Amino acid sequence: MSHHKLEVKNLSFTYPDGHKAINEMSFIIHHGESVGIVGENGAGKSTLLLLLMGVLFPSQGEVMVGDVHVTKKTLPLIRQRLGMVFQDPDDQLFMTTVYDDVAFGPRNYRLDEKEVENRVMQSLDMVGISHLKDRAPYKLSGGEKRAAAIATVLSMQPDVLIMDEPTSSLDPKSRRRVMELLKGFEHTKIITSHDLDMVFEICKRTIVIKAGKIAADGLTSEILADEELMDACGLEVPLALQSCPVCGSKKKNI
Amino acid sequence: MSSISNSLYNIEHLDDLARKETFVHKLHPLVKLIVTLAFLTMVASFGRYEIERLLPLFLYPVIIITLAELPIAPIFKRLLIVEPFIIGIGILNPFFEKKTFVLAGLTLSTGWITFLSIFIKSGLTVASVLLLVATTGMDRLAAALRMLRIPRLFVLQLLLTYRYISVLMEEAERMLRAYALRSPLQKGIHISDWGSFAGQLVLRTFDRAQRVYRAMCVRGFTGEYNTGEHIKFKMADILYLVGWLLFFVVTRMYNIPMLIGTLFTGVIK
Ligand SMILES: Nc1ncnc2c1ncn2[C@@H]1O[C@H](COP(=O)(O)OP(=O)(O)O)[C@@H](O)[C@H]1O
Ligand SMILES: [Mg+2]
Repeated sequence: MSHHKLEVKNLSFTYPDGHKAINEMSFIIHHGESVGIVGENGAGKSTLLLLLMGVLFPSQGEVMVGDVHVTKKTLPLIRQRLGMVFQDPDDQLFMTTVYDDVAFGPRNYRLDEKEVENRVMQSLDMVGISHLKDRAPYKLSGGEKRAAAIATVLSMQPDVLIMDEPTSSLDPKSRRRVMELLKGFEHTKIITSHDLDMVFEICKRTIVIKAGKIAADGLTSEILADEELMDACGLEVPLALQSCPVCGSKKKNI
Repeated sequence: MSSISNSLYNIEHLDDLARKETFVHKLHPLVKLIVTLAFLTMVASFGRYEIERLLPLFLYPVIIITLAELPIAPIFKRLLIVEPFIIGIGILNPFFEKKTFVLAGLTLSTGWITFLSIFIKSGLTVASVLLLVATTGMDRLAAALRMLRIPRLFVLQLLLTYRYISVLMEEAERMLRAYALRSPLQKGIHISDWGSFAGQLVLRTFDRAQRVYRAMCVRGFTGEYNTGEHIKFKMADILYLVGWLLFFVVTRMYNIPMLIGTLFTGVIK
């Protein structure tokens, strides 16, 4: 389905203070792909996502969702197709109840209140927090907040899920839960992280970013195992691919 | 030091209260808004020497608190936060006003009366607004304002300000905590650090506010705030509205305390 592809052409972005955060990037992501975007702090991952969502506009080049250019005019359309979960759930949750927060998106699209309710309950179910629907978001635990933030995006039924460091600052159990959740989604997924083990498990393809440029783009299993590349980009080969520190047994075979 | 983290400042608490389901909470937000506005007009309409005429108006907060089953402490604490400012405004009156009156053998400046009247009026005003928020919630209140055809930009401004106050508080709290941990020997913030502290706070809040706003836009926010509720006017709404308006008109037209007895009015001219 060609109308589901996401294309970035020769994209550059410079912050108002003159910092060139994205430098001539190009890639295409097809329907159903799950892509990890990795890179050290400040590499430009979050900036790239904001450009995809049309929150920021490129200084050069373009972003295309299907056959539609991301411009001010096409934003409503774009944002129905792409759903973004921000890095800090506190930025995303601002209504007085979890229910209202998840309903915020659908209501903005003027859906009938019956349909809104369906979608909210369905999304809360998908992330397993239906029982929290009447709670105030700021009172939830870190893992619950993350789940709620994901639900706020699911309720808009996007084709593409975009997540900025979905497992950052989560304890191991919550991290595992979020990972299982992400694995279960059939959406096209674009996930930034330095949690390389998570990327290794969830994403088939990985794009490595270094100082605003694409340093590598290919199969996760090959890229993340490339010690030299990882080191040059300020990253580390995921634990799952390192030899066992106790018994020294060989890396897992891919 | 940690007073900001104290629930006293925790504004969201009012929204928690607004989620109760009492008679008052279920009333139409527009009705509650109109009654509150009428109440504010009433309070403001009495002259600065007419303290005794204000007394019947105390019935309003008392009745709302009772009917809405609100805890008194949180409302009262928030009132106390504003009072120092009010006292600051009115405290000079007793020294500036030349006229005097006699109470129990003492000759006092009429400034005390105007001071007291400012104190009472502001207390009533702030209390009524707090009660409005605590029984309606900010979202529904915004919806009511929109029904009154207040331009959406203003309503939005109000909502976002409300939302960002807590953002500001959170940032301030984090910074205070970090500061306090590294300066264990002193209380509060040293005067030499005030400038950078305030500057940091503004920048951080601005940053945070921008991220919140982005997250809203990404979910299709275009400036119109939908609460999804289409509340209809009920009989209870009309009765509530008419009842209070009638009460206000009567307190305005008749001097109830004087009618009840000349005890009060005999003392204060
Ligand atoms: N609002 C901004 N103004 C100026 N520079 C910024 C701004 N936001 C981010 N940057 C800079 O852009 C670069 C990329 O940032 P970001 O996309 O947040 O990186 P990442 O998410 O990969 O850690 C960093 O060097 C950062 O300092
Ligand atoms: Mg980032």
